[in-house]
Amino acid sequence: MRLSRITKSFAATRAVDDVSLTIERGEILAVIGENGAGKTTLMRIAAGELAPDSGSIEEATSIGFVHQHFLLVPEFTIAENLALIDRRFRFATHKTLEREAVRMIESSGIELHEVSRRVADLSVGEKSKLELIKAIARKPSTLILDEPTSVLTPRESQELFRVMRALAANGTAIVFISHKLPEVLAVAERIVVMRSGKLVLETRSATPESLALAMTPQSPLPAPSGERVRVRGDLALTHGDVQLHHNEILAIVGVAGNGQSELADELRARFPRAGHIPEDRTRDGVIAQMTIAENLALRGVRNAEQMIELYSIRAVGPRQLAGDLSGGNQQKVVLARELDRRPEIIIAAEPTRGLDIEATRFVHERLRAAADAGAAILLITSDLDEAFELADAMQVIYRGKLSARMTAEEASSRVANLMAGVA
Amino acid sequence: MALNMLDLDLVINALPLAILAATPLLLAVQGELVVQRSGIINLGIEGMMLVAAMTAVLAAQLTNNVALGFLGGIAGALLVAIVFGFFVIALKADQIVTGTAINLLAVGATSFVYRELQRGEIFVQSVPRIGTDVVVPLAWIVFPIVLAIVLWNTSFGLRLRACGENPDAIAPHVGRHRAAALAIEALLAGTAGAYLTLALSSGFAENMTAGRGFIALSIVIFGRWKLKGAVLGTAIFGLAAALQYALQAASRGVPYHLLLAVPYIVTLLILCGIAGKVRAPESLGR
Amino acid sequence: MSTGRGPVVRPAGRRPPINAASGGRRLAGRTAAASAALLATILLLALSGAAFGHSPRELLTILITGSVGSTFALQGTVLKSVPLLLTGLSVVIAFRAGVWNIGGEGQFIVGALAALLASRFGLVPSLLAAMLAGAAWASIASLMRLWRNAPEVLTTILLNFIAIHLLGWCVNGPLRERTAMYPQTDVALATLPRLGGLHAGILLAVFASVGAWWLLYRTNEGLRLRATGFNSSAAKWAGVNVRAQLARAMAISGAAAGLAGGIELLGVTNRLFERFASGYGYSGIAVALLAQLHPLATIGSAFFFGALVTGAGELQRTANISSAVATLGQAVVILVLIGYEYGFEYARSRSRH
Repeated sequence: MRLSRITKSFAATRAVDDVSLTIERGEILAVIGENGAGKTTLMRIAAGELAPDSGSIEEATSIGFVHQHFLLVPEFTIAENLALIDRRFRFATHKTLEREAVRMIESSGIELHEVSRRVADLSVGEKSKLELIKAIARKPSTLILDEPTSVLTPRESQELFRVMRALAANGTAIVFISHKLPEVLAVAERIVVMRSGKLVLETRSATPESLALAMTPQSPLPAPSGERVRVRGDLALTHGDVQLHHNEILAIVGVAGNGQSELADELRARFPRAGHIPEDRTRDGVIAQMTIAENLALRGVRNAEQMIELYSIRAVGPRQLAGDLSGGNQQKVVLARELDRRPEIIIAAEPTRGLDIEATRFVHERLRAAADAGAAILLITSDLDEAFELADAMQVIYRGKLSARMTAEEASSRVANLMAGVA
Repeated sequence: MALNMLDLDLVINALPLAILAATPLLLAVQGELVVQRSGIINLGIEGMMLVAAMTAVLAAQLTNNVALGFLGGIAGALLVAIVFGFFVIALKADQIVTGTAINLLAVGATSFVYRELQRGEIFVQSVPRIGTDVVVPLAWIVFPIVLAIVLWNTSFGLRLRACGENPDAIAPHVGRHRAAALAIEALLAGTAGAYLTLALSSGFAENMTAGRGFIALSIVIFGRWKLKGAVLGTAIFGLAAALQYALQAASRGVPYHLLLAVPYIVTLLILCGIAGKVRAPESLGR
Repeated sequence: MSTGRGPVVRPAGRRPPINAASGGRRLAGRTAAASAALLATILLLALSGAAFGHSPRELLTILITGSVGSTFALQGTVLKSVPLLLTGLSVVIAFRAGVWNIGGEGQFIVGALAALLASRFGLVPSLLAAMLAGAAWASIASLMRLWRNAPEVLTTILLNFIAIHLLGWCVNGPLRERTAMYPQTDVALATLPRLGGLHAGILLAVFASVGAWWLLYRTNEGLRLRATGFNSSAAKWAGVNVRAQLARAMAISGAAAGLAGGIELLGVTNRLFERFASGYGYSGIAVALLAQLHPLATIGSAFFFGALVTGAGELQRTANISSAVATLGQAVVILVLIGYEYGFEYARSRSRH
């Protein structure tokens, strides 16, 4: 399959800029880049979900796309979800559906048991596997996987790679989108790097350094000094197994979908006066149809122009609709709204998800500054790098339960196991 | 309010009439159930029945044939379904507002046409009445069973229910399934409207559906979006209606107008009687 | 994302049916939409009439002269516009908050009943009673929603029917006029002062319109209300007590509709009778949508629909065409507006593939 000179813009942003790419049968191709580089958009165009503004697709094949967000019906069983692929009209009892489901699972080579279970009861890793089985069952010539390991434990990731290699050996072209360099280097035969919508590197042999350099235009951040100047203050709040103190950043890490949203929601309900940075920025962040000034005013922040200055928000003015801002700038509005009144407690859930390097750095700076000034910060994140960089202490969340509190040193050896549910 | 034996007789005698009277309601409930399972709220079912009532009478009087009258009713309902479906499925317009507009459209159009046709004396002739009543067993026995099988034991039904739970799961085909659901609803609502004029009343009257569509919506919720619940809910409602007739006939001093309000109060109670654990189709209304 | 449990309509993330985004950016688009709706309505009415043998020109002439062609007609139109303005405001406030208040009809009736009963205490208490009663009637629905997750879109409609029958009982029973000749009440003991051929209720209605604008755009309460309507989950995270907000919006909305009923009683009819409401509540929806949910534009929108109703009445008198064409007109306006609004998104989504 061949993509020629694909370009696609959304409003003023050029998401994909004149990209040409060939996808070969039977190979494993990795498309990498940082958030917002255009990887998902390019692949969605390849899959026919989006139409490019210009450019063409030649020798198109049947494509299976495994999205980052699950397209499953939680109320249905595994068997029923698999049966949705079928487009004919026929009678089917539970037994029939289950038999067929087992057949589909076996022929895919992936392990998934007890097909009569409801999808809502599955673990995140199992749901991911189900999506994969669904895609494979359609026997596509090209299989595109969007950040497939983001919710898998290391063991499940290995299983996935095994399946990928088997499919490739059978002739399927596999494209996988990722931002995790170690995995990409382990599995991919060919690697393509995207940055700001352009294809900047295509290679069969790469090192982590060469890839990282291609992905980001500047040198990596200097590692933060190991010393923490902060002295932990008094207890600010207790909630279940969480004890949060002033002057500290406590990170709750875990694979997404293990109870983080519920925890954040409970805290929001219990501590309405705290500063809350919601996890789902697009749905719960700014109110897109109101202006920046109005969004800020919801928490009593009246000096919108000052805020725009202070937080370097790239906007036309305070009367611009918040929905017109980029993701990073929207997050800055949320930060301004929540942090300006100097709350004693800040609960930040996935505050830098989907943000580019510059915005991420900004958010981290602000959080550090707030902690230095005395705030008690709870950071809920699935990004381990972020956790280790910011946190004074860590706890791991797995299936709704929290581990004991650890320092950064203790955590570095135990965190991988804890996140997978191994004690 | 003690009912002595005389009143109990009245209630029992009123029951068959109540079942009959509740038949259009039951048809509407089943139709709306299918549609809501596919993820759409159709407030306009009230208007659908009203239009069907009119087209049924028109068809029956023009052809002097009751069966064709029923077909006419279904045709009228299908017309409304097409308009509603265009806005809600193709344009993805807001379902509540569109449904309300459909109801206004139906009231306005039927009243307008009724008045115009009265000039031509088309509504003055007597309406052909239904002979053997096949509609009641259809509504209370056949349709519930058939619909239950289709929704829960066919792949089509599975996909339709998926539209109501997570339409993204079968993204390109959602519109098709929702349209099919609307067509089924039109079939049922059309029959309901036709039954109303051709069997229960002696012709068309302005606004004759009197809120049955909204009551149907409530019963769908009460029945937890299941066929068994639909039949049960409508039966209970019919029972309450029988009580109303009995009280009216006995003229026990309960004011007539307040009795008229009883069906709606009962429906309110139905909606409140639901404990917070009702689970609607997840994507209902989206 | 499946956490909350509630049947039918959940406002989370729902936007008001017309994209009432802040700022005048879409003013041109909105004016175009409104104009298109007006034109389409008039066109459709003319065509429908023609289909049954009436001359479209004749129809339109009667419509226009009957509504604005003479001082008398104009007075009639303005008198009809007043309750429409208030029920329209009622819907504007509710829809802006993301609450489906379809109960304007019932709140109108209950407001009028309360006004009648309180009229012995004077004009102002009477009007206040109307607002309180409307707010209370609407709050039944919001309480049911908050306690039992009962969808207000249905409960408000059911309450309409109950109110209609309540009125029927009152005018035939306990509140029936002393002479007991007709099913209507005695005259109210207070009236709105007259202004030429009109009554002071007009001033109240316009004042309410300005007040609603000020509430929505110049107060914190209004900010929170709009935020809740645009995106209730984001509003929640920004510290808005969404449940309380919805209840307050519903109450204010009901008060407006109740006031409409009170004014209609004290300024126009002076008595209550069975078909008192005659659709003012439901018409409020069309008024609100044509005004694109803007409180000040509601004035113009109410005038249009007032003219439509008055003109339709004239049509019925002179040409024996059912006055229900006004209802038909409302439906067309709503559908055209919706079609316009969502038509663009449809066109855009088609171009993507």
